[in-house]
Amino acid sequence: MPGKYIPVNREAEMTLWEKSYVPEIIRGLIVTASHFFPNFVGVFRAYFTGKTEKRKIMTIYYPEEKPFIPDAYRGRPVLVRNPDGRERCVACGLCEVACPPKCIFIIGAKRKDGTRYPASYNLDGSICIFCGLCEAACPEEAIVMSRQYENLAEYDRGLMLYDKESLLVPAEKLERRLQHIRKRMFGRCTY
Amino acid sequence: MFEYSYIPPAPLLPEILEMMLKIVFIFTMNMGFFAPVLGYVERKQSALMQDRIGANRADLFGVTAGGLLHIMTDAIKLLFKEDFIPRGADKLLHTIAPLIAVVPALIAFTVIPFGGTYVLWGHKVNLVIADLDMGILFIFAVTSLATYGGAIAGWASNNNWSLLGGVRVAAQMFSYEVAMGLSLVGVFMVFGSLRLTEIGMAQENFWHWGIFYQPLGFILFFACALAENKRVPFDVPEAESELIAGYFTEYSGLKFAMFWMAEFLEIVTIAAILTVLFFGGWNIPFVTLQSLVSFFGFLGDTGSQAAAMFLQVAVFWLKVGALIFLQMLIRWSLPRFRYDQVMNLGWKIILPLALLNIFLTGLFILAAN
Amino acid sequence: MTDAKKDYDFHKESHTERMVINMGPSHPATHGTVRFFLKLDGEKIVHCETEIGYLHRGFEKHCENGSWTQAFPYTDRLNYNSAIQNNVAYAMTVEKLMGVADKMPERGVYIRTIMCEFARMADHYTNLGAAALELGALTAFIYFVEARELVWDIIESVCGARLTSNYIRIGGHASDLPENFKAHVKKVFATNRELYEDFDKLLTKNRIFLDRMRDTGSISVEEAIQYGFTGPCLRACGVEYDVRRAQPYLLYDQLDFDVPVGSTGDNFDRYLVRMEEIRQSMRIIEQAIETLPEGPINIADPAVRQPSKEGVNTVMEMMIFHFKNEIEGIQVPRGEAYFPTEGSNGEVGFYLVSDGGGKPYKCRVRPPCFAMTQAMGRMVEGAFLADLIPTFDMINLIGGECDR
Repeated sequence: MPGKYIPVNREAEMTLWEKSYVPEIIRGLIVTASHFFPNFVGVFRAYFTGKTEKRKIMTIYYPEEKPFIPDAYRGRPVLVRNPDGRERCVACGLCEVACPPKCIFIIGAKRKDGTRYPASYNLDGSICIFCGLCEAACPEEAIVMSRQYENLAEYDRGLMLYDKESLLVPAEKLERRLQHIRKRMFGRCTY
Repeated sequence: MFEYSYIPPAPLLPEILEMMLKIVFIFTMNMGFFAPVLGYVERKQSALMQDRIGANRADLFGVTAGGLLHIMTDAIKLLFKEDFIPRGADKLLHTIAPLIAVVPALIAFTVIPFGGTYVLWGHKVNLVIADLDMGILFIFAVTSLATYGGAIAGWASNNNWSLLGGVRVAAQMFSYEVAMGLSLVGVFMVFGSLRLTEIGMAQENFWHWGIFYQPLGFILFFACALAENKRVPFDVPEAESELIAGYFTEYSGLKFAMFWMAEFLEIVTIAAILTVLFFGGWNIPFVTLQSLVSFFGFLGDTGSQAAAMFLQVAVFWLKVGALIFLQMLIRWSLPRFRYDQVMNLGWKIILPLALLNIFLTGLFILAAN
Repeated sequence: MTDAKKDYDFHKESHTERMVINMGPSHPATHGTVRFFLKLDGEKIVHCETEIGYLHRGFEKHCENGSWTQAFPYTDRLNYNSAIQNNVAYAMTVEKLMGVADKMPERGVYIRTIMCEFARMADHYTNLGAAALELGALTAFIYFVEARELVWDIIESVCGARLTSNYIRIGGHASDLPENFKAHVKKVFATNRELYEDFDKLLTKNRIFLDRMRDTGSISVEEAIQYGFTGPCLRACGVEYDVRRAQPYLLYDQLDFDVPVGSTGDNFDRYLVRMEEIRQSMRIIEQAIETLPEGPINIADPAVRQPSKEGVNTVMEMMIFHFKNEIEGIQVPRGEAYFPTEGSNGEVGFYLVSDGGGKPYKCRVRPPCFAMTQAMGRMVEGAFLADLIPTFDMINLIGGECDR
């Protein structure tokens, strides 16, 4: 196999010039100054002209700027509501079994026309670890991980026990995640 | 009988007024402007060096002055924190330690000239609060007193970590006192005087600036001054990750603010001393006071002097600002020494180099004559 | 010189005691919740006792309550700096137990290698940045944290979360790589190389840093092997042992990369080994991305890895397997297996015992930093208090892994 074990470079002998502390210190100061001056000029430039290219500032100025959320992001789990108003969930209980910390509680029931639906669906947001195993287990695309990461904290734990109504989200809003699931998750399991 | 070269006349009302104005000016500049603004500058400069924005969210009625209001919020927050004395600590010593740390840093500025000599309304005005003829020795004497503040704080806190910090403070500051004094002897030999105003005036010619005559002395004095101030890379007494906060672990509220302010005030003092001794003080390069006065001649006699005064004072503070920037840059870039390496550096490297500097300066002066 | 002079014990005669100081679990330097009892003689450490267990969460017992797949989020939280490596180690052990390890498709193997190396980079960035922070170089810390942010952005675009990735499954992966993966990686590597150069220039040849790190915290080769060191700390002592070369797995026997080895085993060698490993990881990833094949990412066996939703909704066997695997767990045959992998800290291995069901009977993880923590007392004896800080930093103790 290519590649080998190589010894590291310890620089055990330093010249007198390097032994005096000054040259390397000056080199270090030049490194940090080379970060400082473009940013410094950039601040004034951005203030007066609004152009921010030359700055190397890495900070995202939350909440005025929001970070980029990729398609694969696992936010709060939500239930999908069909366009006709019904939930897609058929209360099969797979997500309840698949959840590692056991934060989902389902009581199923049957409608008059024979279809199943969850009479009560509770997801405890304070226990959920946002792992996404429920989404992978669901055969109906009924529970997906949305892109929500804000407004999840409450002052009272009871408020974090989400019931079915607070979990339902219309399918149009979750189209991006559903596409990601179809193309990159379940679609890649074909063989 | 002693021979005095300069006998001050008896004070009259104009002199008293001038003295009060100078004191008020220096006090306002230091306490009112530099100490708070340095907190802001440290935050913003470190942020820009690290590709961040820094603190700029505090606002008053919707106006964020780019983060300047954080100075106020810091001060108010520190004022309102609980002021406690740990159980078993020595109450008197715990309380006066911050005072001992802050007061010398303020006093040291009295002998530093921030401008030259001007003639205003017939009076000779010397822009220094106290023109001592042994100016720099006064500064050394006063800053040595600040050692007590740290050591007493370390002992009086009844805490093992603080004790370690206090021991380190005492040892470090004591070691660097000697080297600091010796590294400046070369400057005195070159300029022939201990009086800071004379040294400043002698640097009117750009090529007579101290940095050209004493580059080694500059580096040595800079290192010793950083060690006296307990800033990185010499902040062993305060090492944040080793000793939590060193000798001021058990301080909060206004007492903590005083330690913190003492550090910032010493930054300004060091920058001012460096400016006066090595970088020409208030002199603009290649421009003498005469040419400035004649440039502003259209403003009249006093007016031209006053205009020259303002310009030179502004140049002085600009140079101080640049040196403060350099100190902040060093603080945020370098790692810190280990305790025994600090001692090693002070006694075995800087002290012999300072003696060597004196020797070389003597040879140089002998050869030049 | 009488014999009485040789028996003179300064401390006994002058009625002094050594200072006992507690570097407790909450201390700015113990960023892994570890407690040190130190006996100091002035500034020298005479004795150091280590106490761990402040982050014990019962990982091994917890795994016995859930199915094989439900253990993945918990393995994330072991070495939380390089979570994907723990996932991979666990998954490969289960696959070895089931005997399906060689059925993994090409693309799956490539993805696992790439993500493991990203995790290694993130862990080394964190460790070296924290070491710089503890030594007072705050700007260097921020530069590496910036670099780590960019690596985490890549991991987030692939797995869905920056730290708790939960990406690998038994027999495959949770999802595929996103589009523009190659372009994203190239952009990130350009910035990372710049930041790496900045960090290098700030610290590696700085005399102050060298004085802190060189000849501190050293340990000899025999003692290192006796304590059970692995990983960068062992290689810093001079032993040429890397699991990726000694017992190759995934793609490592086909890729061209070097393994840095030190000579004296002190902190500076550990630092240099880790810095070089970052560069080698970037090299591995670039090679793997160039030749990344298309294709399936999971093993083609519905008993092992869940089928697609079209299959579940149309083919009967697939639906049966899907429901059975979710409810009862993947059925792993009886036996026990141990599979060593090279984590960023050392050899990470899972020892799994199965009784033929869908739940693990025993799941034991070999934490690499446990061995190094044992040696802390030995490494800092006789050194200064200020030497404990870089030593503790460079062994990279991660509380989640050491205490499980």
